[in-house]
Formats: sequence, C-alpha cells, structure tokens
Amino acid sequence: MEFAFTKEQLMFKQEVIRFAKKEIVPRVQEFDLKEDFDVESFRKLGEFGILGLHFPEEYSGGGADVVTTVLAGEALGEAGVDGGLTLAYGAHSFLCADTIFRHGTEDQRRKYIPKLAKGEWIGCMGLTEPDAGSDVASMKTIAEKKGDKYILNGNKMFITNGPVADVAVVYAKTDPKVQHAGISAFIIEKGTKGFSAGKPLIKMGVRTSLTSELILQDCEIPKENILGKEGEGFLMAMQTVEWDRSALLAPFVGATRYLLKKCSDYSKKRIQFGKPIGSYQAIKHKLANMRIFVEAAHSLVYRIAWCKNQGRPLNHLEAAVAKLFVGDYSLLPSNDAVVLHGGYGYCHEYDVERIFRDGRLAPIGGGTSDIQKMIISRLI
Amino acid sequence: MNFDFNQSEQTFLKELDTLLKGINCKNIDVNELLKELAKTDYLKIEISPFLMAAMEILSSYTQSLFLSIEVSTRIFGRIISNFGNDNQKQTILPGLFDGKLIGAVALSEDSMNIDNEPLKTKGYREDDFIIVNGNKSYVVNAGIADYFAVAGRIDDKDAIFLIEKGTNGLSVSDRLHTIGYDGTSISNLYLKDCKINETNVLYPKLSAIRMWENQVLIGATLGMMKASFESAKNYAKTHKTGGKPIIAYQEIGFKLAEMLTTLQTSQLFAYRSCWLYGIGDKEADIVTYSAKVFCGESAEKVASDALQILSGAGVLCGNPAEEAYRCSKYAQIAGTSTEISRVKIGDAALGRL
Ligand SMILES: Cc1cc2nc3c(=O)[nH]c(=O)nc-3n(C[C@H](O)[C@H](O)[C@H](O)COP(=O)(O)OP(=O)(O)OC[C@H]3O[C@@H](n4cnc5c(N)ncnc54)[C@H](O)[C@@H]3O)c2cc1C
Ligand SMILES: Cc1cc2nc3c(=O)[nH]c(=O)nc-3n(C[C@H](O)[C@H](O)[C@H](O)COP(=O)(O)OP(=O)(O)OC[C@H]3O[C@@H](n4cnc5c(N)ncnc54)[C@H](O)[C@@H]3O)c2cc1C
Repeated sequence: MEFAFTKEQLMFKQEVIRFAKKEIVPRVQEFDLKEDFDVESFRKLGEFGILGLHFPEEYSGGGADVVTTVLAGEALGEAGVDGGLTLAYGAHSFLCADTIFRHGTEDQRRKYIPKLAKGEWIGCMGLTEPDAGSDVASMKTIAEKKGDKYILNGNKMFITNGPVADVAVVYAKTDPKVQHAGISAFIIEKGTKGFSAGKPLIKMGVRTSLTSELILQDCEIPKENILGKEGEGFLMAMQTVEWDRSALLAPFVGATRYLLKKCSDYSKKRIQFGKPIGSYQAIKHKLANMRIFVEAAHSLVYRIAWCKNQGRPLNHLEAAVAKLFVGDYSLLPSNDAVVLHGGYGYCHEYDVERIFRDGRLAPIGGGTSDIQKMIISRLI
Repeated sequence: MNFDFNQSEQTFLKELDTLLKGINCKNIDVNELLKELAKTDYLKIEISPFLMAAMEILSSYTQSLFLSIEVSTRIFGRIISNFGNDNQKQTILPGLFDGKLIGAVALSEDSMNIDNEPLKTKGYREDDFIIVNGNKSYVVNAGIADYFAVAGRIDDKDAIFLIEKGTNGLSVSDRLHTIGYDGTSISNLYLKDCKINETNVLYPKLSAIRMWENQVLIGATLGMMKASFESAKNYAKTHKTGGKPIIAYQEIGFKLAEMLTTLQTSQLFAYRSCWLYGIGDKEADIVTYSAKVFCGESAEKVASDALQILSGAGVLCGNPAEEAYRCSKYAQIAGTSTEISRVKIGDAALGRL
C-alpha cells in the first residue's frame, strides 16, 4: 500500500492551479453575483485540455489516467475556482460526454466527443425529474418507439447546464411497466423539435452553473440516438457514479484546501485584542479541523479513482462511503471559515460565504447523504 | 499509488486473525500472548500501513494486552534498538520479542504533557555513575516491567535513563484503577537517588517517542472501531423487534452506515499517516496528529453508537463495544492530546505569525 502521486501528476496539478488562478479565478466573483455561466472560462477549460482530459487523444482528449483527471478537479478547487464552474465541468465531461464515450457507437463518439472535449459544445445529463429524485426508477418520462424514431415525453428537473447545453444525455422509460430495467438513455441535441429548457433556477450556491428543467413534448429523435440498447440506461447512470464519487467530489476537497489557505492568511493579518487572531487557540482549532477534513477525504476520493484506474468494477460501498463523508463532513469547515472571518466572512468579497453556499450541494447532488446511508446499510 | 495490501501481507493479516480467534485474550497474560505473537512476524513489522492493519487486528481482540504489548515491544523496543548500545540490544531485545522481558516507558510527570512542561526528572553525575531523581505518572506496564525507559534531563539535555527493575530507589505505586484498560498494569513511578551506569543514559529525540506512542494509539482506535462496529452489526442483523431485524429500521441501519464510513475513513487516514512517516515525508508529523485527532474522536463516537444499537446487551460489562467505549477516551488524552494536536496542526497551517 502506498499513496504517492507520480512526479508528472504533481507537476500537472501545479500547472492546473497556475492556469486557473490566472485565467479563471479573477472572474469568479463577478459571475457568481450575476448568477451567470462563464462561457469564456468554460472554453478556456477546454483549450487547456481539462474538459477532455481522460479521453483518448484521437478524440481530441488528453489521454490522462483517472488519478490525474481527479487531481485536476482537486486543483481547480484548490486554485479558488467556484463550485458552479466545477459542477458545470463535471456534468459536461463525466455525466454527459463520458456516458456517450462509454456506451456510444463509433459514429456517436466521433460526432460528439471531440466537440465536447474541446469545449466547443456543452453537454448535460437529465436523470432527475420533478417527482423522481432519489427514487430514480419512478421516473415518468417515456420514450416510445415509432418506426425509425423515438418520441419522448416528460420533464427533467435540476439539470446542470440545461439552459446552455448543445447536447443532452436523457434517461427515459422505454418500458414503463418495469422499474430499473425499463430505463434507456438517449442523445438529444439542442434545437430538436419538442425539446426545450426551462428558465435557470435561482439557487443558493453553485450559481455560475445554470440549472433548469428540460421539457420533452413529443420530442422526436432518430432511433440511432439511443445509447446502447433499450433497458441499459440505469446501468449507464450507475456507471457515472464512479466519476461522481471521485472527479466530482475532488473539487470539494480542493475547495477546503483553498479555504484553509484563505483562513490562515486572514488569521495572520487580522489583529484583535492586540494580537493576530491566529494566535488564539480557538482559531487554530478551526484551521486544524479544515486540515483534518482534507486529509481524511483525500484518501477516500483517491481510492475510488485508483480502483477505477485499475479497471476494477465500482465498489458501491466504498463509493457511498466517500460521498457520505465528503457530503456531510465538508459542511463544518466551510461554516467555520465564515465565522473565522467574522463580519467580513458574511460578505461576498472574501469568497468564504460563496464556498459555504456552494458546499451545501455536496450532501444533496448526485444522491443525498440519506441515499448513501441506505446503500451502505443494505451492503453490510 | 496502491490501495491494496500485497498478497503476503493479506495472508499474514488473515493468519493473525485466525491465531487470535483461537486465543481467549481475557484469560491470558501479556507474556503468554507475546509468546504466541512471537511465532509470527507481528513484532517485527516496520512502520508502514501494514503495521496499522496488523495493530487493528490485535487491538480488536484486546485493548489491554494490545497497549501493554505495544508499549513494551514497539515503543520501549525501538528505544533500545535505535539508541541502545550493542550490549543492551543483545541482553534486552530477544527477551522483549519472545515474552520473557517487559519494558515500560515513563514520559509523563504531574503536569503530564511533555509537550508543555520541561521535565522535572533529572540525572546528575557522581563519580562514574548517574543519580536520577523524579516522579512519573501513569506508566503502562509499571507493575510488570523488567526495564524502564525514563525520560528526564541531564547536562541540560533530554535523555532516557534506562533503569532495571529492582534498582535501589525505584518504586512503583499501587495499580491505578482507570476507566478503561482494566487488564493493563498502570502505576506511578518514583525514583529516589537511583544510581545507574553512564552507559544506561540514551539520547533519543523524545518527540520521536511521542510519535511512536501516537501511532500505537491510532492503531488502538482502529481495533476499537472494528470491534464495536462488528458487534453492533451482528446484533442488528439478528436481533428482531416488530418482526424485523433492527437493521431494517433506518435509525439503526443508517447509524451503522455512519459507523462504517467513520471506520473506513479512519483506516485510510491511519494507513496514510503511517506511510508518510515511513517514507520520511515532511508532512508526516502533522498528518499523524490529524489522524490521531480524527481516529480518537471517531472511536468514542463509533463505540457510543454501537452501545446504542446493542442497547440492553451493550450496557452489560464485558462486550467489545463497552470495552472500546471506556478505552476510547484514553486515545484522546494519551500521547499528544487532541487539544495539543489541534494547536500543532493549526500552528502548521499558520506558519510564522
Ligand atoms: C444544483 C443541482 C444540480 C443538479 N444537477 C443534476 C443534473 O445535472 N442531472 C440530474 O439528473 N440531476 C441533477 N440534480 C438532481 C439531484 O441529483 C437530486 O436533487 C438529488 O438526487 C435528490 O433528489 P430530490 O431533489 O428529488 O430529493 P428527494 O428524493 O425528493 O429527497 C428529499 C429528501 O428526502 C430524503 N429521502 C428520499 N428518499 C428517502 C428514503 N428512502 N429514506 C430516507 N430519506 C429519503 C432525501 O435524502 C432528501 O433529504 C441536481 C440537483 C441540484 C440541487
Ligand atoms: C491510562 C493512562 C495510561 C498512560 N500511560 C502512560 C505511559 O505509559 N507513559 C507515559 O509517559 N504517559 C502515560 N500516560 C500519560 C499521558 O500521556 C498523558 O495523560 C498525556 O500526555 C496528556 O496529559 P494530561 O492531559 O493528562 O495533562 P495536561 O497536560 O495537564 O492537560 C490537561 C488538559 O488540558 C489540555 N491542555 C494542556 N495544555 C494545553 C495547551 N497549551 N493548550 C491547549 N490545551 C491544553 C490537555 O489537552 C488536556 O485536555 C497515560 C495516561 C493514562 C490516562
């Protein structure tokens, strides 16, 4: 057992941090306040090679291994990139593009992956519905086969990148009589008749990622737009969990590193009662808890990444453990970071209130903490 | 990066578990258990993630003997093997590793935390000898030890005075009755004009000894959590109310999920801190303090949750969760306490103020 990153991986992490600090972080506050998606930053992620990092080079990807890919997500958080952009990246590269890459035909791969990897197109994934969240199998969206077409009807809810996406992977029931086994996955492009996105939802955090409903009203797509075969959709959704529990969690770990640095810098400068507040044990206590969270979460996240790198099937127990830990335990450090900054912490300028708000998604998105507990308690 | 133990390590861990399953750890003393362990490589494992995994197994069977054995072989043993002379190594080490000799390490004094207070135990020179005076608190193995490694000061330097049982002026208090560790001999130690040879003064870094102690305590917490979790899980699957095993109720099933999450997080944390220490990483100390805080507090919580699940069965003395619950406090106090650890971690985050 050993936990070392390679020299190349560590160098790459530093490169990502430098890139993000220079090209992305300066605009983060502005876009969070505007509650707007920062297209320019997104394209830059594409140009730098982050969006397609793990895809083979022949599809305009970076050919990186899983651990390096996860490290890039951590680096974005550590550099100070907001949770909205990292979520938009996660939904795009893993929930959407990776599903097409893994389950698509060669034609589908050639058509979508290079565009998505370069950031020319934006992707999203629609699984959740207004009345079906944790209980995925109760989804109502239907895909009916008529001749050489599928006709889709239904609504998807809380879809990251929904309002800006050029292509969506959408899950729908091809056989409403059965539960999980009735779900199939489809590729739907923007502009398809009967397919539209709702207005962006106003959210507590991750505000630079736009979230909306997807509306499917007699939406007609060629039958070739199915991913894999009918009934395979649920498995595909489950396979994205590997990324969800590694690459999408890593930015939260990185963000806590960022908080720790911010808080430590602030504690040295802020003088109260004639001394820097960092000289008080109560402040050190908070800094220590941030560090402890980072070190604890680190190994859980990279265990999932490393196992995926080895080509192992996902260990659902370990995945749920990682998600539950990061989701629940990341809340305390971001709360402490706000309090440590006093009144300034409550104001936008100091970043900590944004990270506090962004972090509240961790125990909800991609399966709530309760659902992780349900999975774990069934597996033990 | 590699999150697996290799084949031979895995085999060893299985065999150790099987060996311990066959021993009734409540009816056996330290020397006897040491003789059993001496048949394996347990006592020879270097500081590594594998060591933590092995410690977890032993401490899941017996907290009391685990602490006694680790203090004697791992902490006292390392002091001799790293800082002793050839003669000391030859006379002491073989006995330590086959259960014939027991060692104790006395660091703490009345304000016990050596991180905070300068040590009051002192040696001075008289002819070719060293005369040692001082009082030591809460010394594990004190009542059964053949050798004591006593921390103190001489010539304005930190030192370890190696003192043999029976030395004039050395006395041991009655056994202290502690909340946990009912099977461990813990007493205070008094040194009045103890006369020792100059060769019995060793000069290790006391902070290194504290770190070994911290690692042992982390290993102890893993066993506490494992034993607590396993007993609660087995009970929850078999004990029924309302016609269902209680694990089927979310209040119980979800508690077990949280416990397992904490256990797995602690395991990886412990393994990684030990790995960093083993490769001499500059962050090793801080990550070890971090792991110790996390694992120490987690052990109390996991044991407490286990008691909640075991309910009536849990409050009966003698079950593993009850033992773990009582011992868990110790892991937060002994070694570098959680408070001092947090201060050190905070200091490291701040750098120079
Ligand atoms: C910002 C944001 C972005 C998102 N992006 C996407 C996306 O891109 N694509 C997508 O498909 N989805 C997305 N989601 C949806 C997300 O995955 C769901 O919100 C999540 O799975 C929870 O579902 P729900 O909101 O319907 O809550 P519900 O399932 O209705 O749950 C409500 C509450 O009940 C609890 N609960 C539910 N069932 C049980 C049970 N059996 N036992 C105990 N407790 C239970 C839950 O833990 C929760 O606390 C996004 C959500 C947000 C907020
Ligand atoms: C069962 C048992 C067995 C033991 N076995 C051994 C042994 O074999 N060998 C040995 O050498 N020692 C042993 N010890 C002693 C143990 O190492 C000490 O108890 C430990 O070092 C902590 O000291 P203390 O908290 O008891 O005392 P104190 O240092 O007085 O601390 C009291 C409280 O104040 C906190 N505190 C103190 N100073 C600060 C500060 N500057 N900032 C913030 N908080 C502070 C502490 O964390 C603690 O909560 C044993 C103890 C017990 C209970």
